[in-house]
Parts: sequence; structure tokens; C-alpha cells
Amino acid sequence: METIGFLMEGFAVALTPYNLMFALFGAFVGTLIGCLPGLGPANGVAILIPLAFTLGLPPETAMILLTSVYAGAMYGGRISSILLNIPGDEPAMMTCLDGYPMAQKGRAADALAISAIASFAGSLIGTIGLIMLAPVLARFALTFGPAEYFALFLLAFATLGGITGKNPMKTVIAATLGIMISTVGIDISTGTQRYTGGVLELYEGIDFILAIVGLFAISELLFFVESRMGKGRSKVEVGKLTLSFKEVVTTIPTQLRGGLLGFVAGVLPGAGASLGSFISYTLEKSVLGKKGRFGEGDIRGVVAPEAGNNGAASGALVPMLTLGVPGSGTTAVLLAMLISLNITPGPLMFTQNADIVWGVIAALLIGNVLLLVLNIPMIGVFVRLLSVPPMYLLPIVTMVAFVGIYSISHSTFDLYFMIVFGVGGFILRKLEIPMVPIILGLLLGPEMEKNLGHALILSDGDWSTLWSSPLAIGLWLVAGLGLVLPTLFGPILRRRMRTAIKEGPVSD
Amino acid sequence: MTGMGDRILGLFLLVLAVAYGWVAQQWPEPFGGTEGVGPETFPTMLAVVLVVGSLYLMIKPDADAQWPVGKSALELLISIVVLVVYALLLEPLGFIISTTLAVGALSWRMGAPVTNSFVTGLISAVVVFGLFNYGLSLSLPNGLLGGF
Repeated sequence: METIGFLMEGFAVALTPYNLMFALFGAFVGTLIGCLPGLGPANGVAILIPLAFTLGLPPETAMILLTSVYAGAMYGGRISSILLNIPGDEPAMMTCLDGYPMAQKGRAADALAISAIASFAGSLIGTIGLIMLAPVLARFALTFGPAEYFALFLLAFATLGGITGKNPMKTVIAATLGIMISTVGIDISTGTQRYTGGVLELYEGIDFILAIVGLFAISELLFFVESRMGKGRSKVEVGKLTLSFKEVVTTIPTQLRGGLLGFVAGVLPGAGASLGSFISYTLEKSVLGKKGRFGEGDIRGVVAPEAGNNGAASGALVPMLTLGVPGSGTTAVLLAMLISLNITPGPLMFTQNADIVWGVIAALLIGNVLLLVLNIPMIGVFVRLLSVPPMYLLPIVTMVAFVGIYSISHSTFDLYFMIVFGVGGFILRKLEIPMVPIILGLLLGPEMEKNLGHALILSDGDWSTLWSSPLAIGLWLVAGLGLVLPTLFGPILRRRMRTAIKEGPVSD
Repeated sequence: MTGMGDRILGLFLLVLAVAYGWVAQQWPEPFGGTEGVGPETFPTMLAVVLVVGSLYLMIKPDADAQWPVGKSALELLISIVVLVVYALLLEPLGFIISTTLAVGALSWRMGAPVTNSFVTGLISAVVVFGLFNYGLSLSLPNGLLGGF
């Protein structure tokens, strides 16, 4: 009951015309980001952070804007999956399997409409799950001491590669590099200058926003330059909507199953939206068995993965909001926004910044309604924008990134730094060092060191305090499993996902 | 030999880790001593983890990636130079001129026709400049177009 009261207050925050306007804007831009080539959700949100920051938006408005973008990006990913058989982002991969065959049969409009409905259902289920689970988890997290937090951060890094990750050691290296970058600057507890080399600009440390924008946006531009995929895609005809109400009703069980599974996958460390949509698709296939015509344009084959990945997207917000530990790239970028707004993420946020947390949750609900309304009539606009070639788009995006970073500090020093991060990111991505752990390291490094310090001060320098409580031991164990399991099951799961995609009719 | 990329990265990271760890040992003890954790404790731990990781990379490298050669590499280099020059000229030339040049050059090198590229550059520059300076009252550098 208490929760409903908070939620109502959240709606009061989110429904002010000012915030509603930003939610609408965010939903629109998010869908664009999701469907445009070369602009992943994490990348898109990252570029918007400096802008939200320099606009001087109040914290709740900034968070509402970025959460709407996040929700919108999950909707947008499906558009190019269905029309072009090219997933707009990774979680939208499974939508290709039945979405593209549907489009080939001339039912593109239906596929787009039903997937918008499924996205809405998945998101709604996920958000309801978030509303129920988050306060409970936050209350539980209040019992965490510094030692438990230290172990929790380790767990976050260990599971970040995900169960399908390739080489866990590369995740470890990436995370370590990120934390190392975060140690540059004056040490908060002792005042010692660390790794500054006497450069004045480095005294306050390296701004993680410019690192994030460099690692994502600039390296993405370089990837496109290298692969010369600048030409873009041909225009696609969508056709008329023939979806009947009865057909929508028959997919309701699929939507519920998909959304629920997706939510669970989103909350769990190491799973994420890609696995969420994969699990919901395979489950749907085995539940319906021969009754379905999966892979040939079955409408439920579009509904299941879309409900799954949107459920997972809301689920992924649970650990980010309650523990301050994001489980995916995009939620890591949202965490960056929170930190730069001077809000300490974690369980205390639910009491100290209740208006922001509940405002964001309410915005997620409102954003979804807006997205559904936007996505059905305006689909033509998004489809037209899909054919904007990256050779015009990416330079403009890069320019916007420059403007954003420049407008934070009005110093070109930051711009050079961003380029360095971009080039470094490009080389590391070539070597298959993942970017997300670097960013998480940058964000969580200072917190991790602080908690280590507190734990050791409380125990008079006894290191065994780090694994003395049952909870801490449990976290260490899960962290260990997070590193070991991918090497055992990763290859199997990856092969299954690949064969599932190969089974589907592949274009060209 | 396969896995050269990972081996070179491993070697680089090893040097980085050792240097990072060594620098941490040179800091003077903070005033009043430390209780358990000094400024060097956490960096030392990180250095150890990175040493282990870099050794692993050198012993068990993954297969090599396709590195850009010839024309692709040149195009990459050109793009990076364009970005650096953009940052360099942003203040002296002003936002509109430098952005037109930078966006234009990037689109042109990515395969767009020359006129289209620079027209895109000019339009996007003017729109963003107008939006920021008049809509959001955040000042971007005027540069040569001082009275604009």
C-alpha cells in the first residue's frame, strides 16, 4: 500500500507538463536511436547525457528524459529487424526470425503493430515487476555493510560479461582498466595526488562522461569508417495494416509469458535483454510446438522476443536503482547520469530521493503509453528515417558529441581527451575487449575503494572481514560462478542462439 | 603466429600494470599514518590483477582480428586527423566554420558526394548553433564570424 502512495507521488512528478514534454521527446528520440544504424541505446543515451547536463535540467527531469530514451530504444530496435532482417540492436536479433518472414509475406505493417503492442505488454509487466520488487530489494540492501558492497561490486564485474560472454579474462581486464582510470586524481580520503603527472586538468580526475562518449560514439564512427558501410539501406514499403483484434487477443498468453521471463532475465546478473528475448522465443516455440509455424512468419514469433526484451529492459533497472549496480551497458550509462547529478545510487535513494526514483518509474509507465501511441501511427516516419545513410548521420552524431562535451567545461582539452578515448576504444574493441566493464569500472571504482577502506577501518586492517559474513561469502561465490560458468556454458548457449538464427530463412 | 594482437596487448598491459603499481609505491605516507588502507593499497591490488590478466592474454591469446590495412587504415587515420583538427580549430575559427569543415570532410570520406557533404555540414552547423545559442542560450564559440 505504501508503494502505491509513492507511485502516486511519482505520477505527480512525471505528469507535470514540463516533465511530460521531456518524456515525449525522449520516447521519440529513443525510438530513433533504436532504429537508426550505428546508434545503439547505450551510445545514444551517452551522447544525450552532456546535453541534459548543460541544459541545467532538474535531476528528475533529466532522469525522466533518459529513461524514456532507454525505453524508446528498446522499441526502435525491432523496426529494422522486421523490415530489413538487420537487428537495430542486439536484443532485437530474435525478432528477425519471424518478423522478417512476415514482412516478406506483405504483412510488415502487422508485424510492426503487433511488436509495438508486445513491447508495450513486456514493458508494462517488467515495470510492474520493478514496482513490486525494487522496494523489497532496497530494504534488504540496507543491511549491506561495506564488505558486502565490495563483494557486490566484484559480482557486478564478474557477471557483466554475461553468460554468453566470450572470454571472461577480457572482462576482468576491461574492468580493471576502467577502475585504474578512475583512480587518477586526488585521493578523496588522504589527499594524495595519484597519476596526475602535475597536469592541472587531471587533479579532479577524468570525467567519466567524456570517457563514455569517446568510447562509444567516437569508436563507433571509426568502425563505420573502417567497414565503409556508409551507403545505407534501400527504402522499404510497409503496406496496409490488416491486423485483426482477434489476432491480437490470441497472442495475449504469449505476451504474458514473454514479459515475465524477460523481466526475470533482466533482474538476474549476467543475463540481460538479449538472453531475455532468446529464452522467451525458445520457450514459446516449445510450448506451442507444432501448432505454431515459427520461422515462417508466425505472429507469436514476433510477440515473444519483443515482450521478452522489453520486460528485460525494465528488469535491468531493478539492480541499478536498488543496489547502484547496473547489469547492462545502457543502465550503466543511466547510472553515470545519476552520479553526475550528485545522487548516490543504492538503497538510500529510495528514501532520500524518493521523488526521483518514483518519478522515473512513473515516467516508464507513461513513456510506454506514449511509445505505443507514437509507434502505431508514426511508424511511417521512423521507416523513412531508417533510410538515412550513416555517411551523413554519423558525422552529425559525432558533432553533437563534440558540442555536448565542449559545453560542459568549455575547454578543448576535454575534446582531445575524448578523441584519445575514442581511438583507444576502437583498438580495444578490435581486440574484443568489451567497453561496458571499462565504463562500469570508471563509475564504480571510487565507490569500491571507499567501501574497501571503510571495511578495513572497521576491522582494524583485518582483510578477512571481506569474506566473513554469510552474505558476503554468497556474493563472492556468485561472482566466482559468474566468471567460471561462461567458459563452461557460454559456447553451448552461443551455438544455440546462432543455430536458432540460421534455421530461420536468411535473406540474400 | 596467431594471436599476435592479444600478445602485443598483453605485453602493453603488463608494462602498464607494473608501471602503475610501481608509481603507487612511491607516494609518501600521508600525514598521521594510515589505518588499514593507504592511497596505494587499492592501486596495488589493481596492478596485481592486471599483471595476472596480461600474462593470461600472452599465454592464451584469442585468434587475431582483421586489422585494417592499406586504404581502410588510411581512411581511419584521416578521420582521426579530422577530429583532432576539429578540436584544434573549434575556438579560433568558430563553431559554424569548423563544424562545416569537419562534418563535411567526414561525410565525404565516408562516401558521400563532395557538395552534399559540405552542404550537410553547413546546415547541421547552423541548426545546432542556432539551437544552442538562441534556443538554449549556451554559447558556442563565434570565432571568425564574431558579429554573428
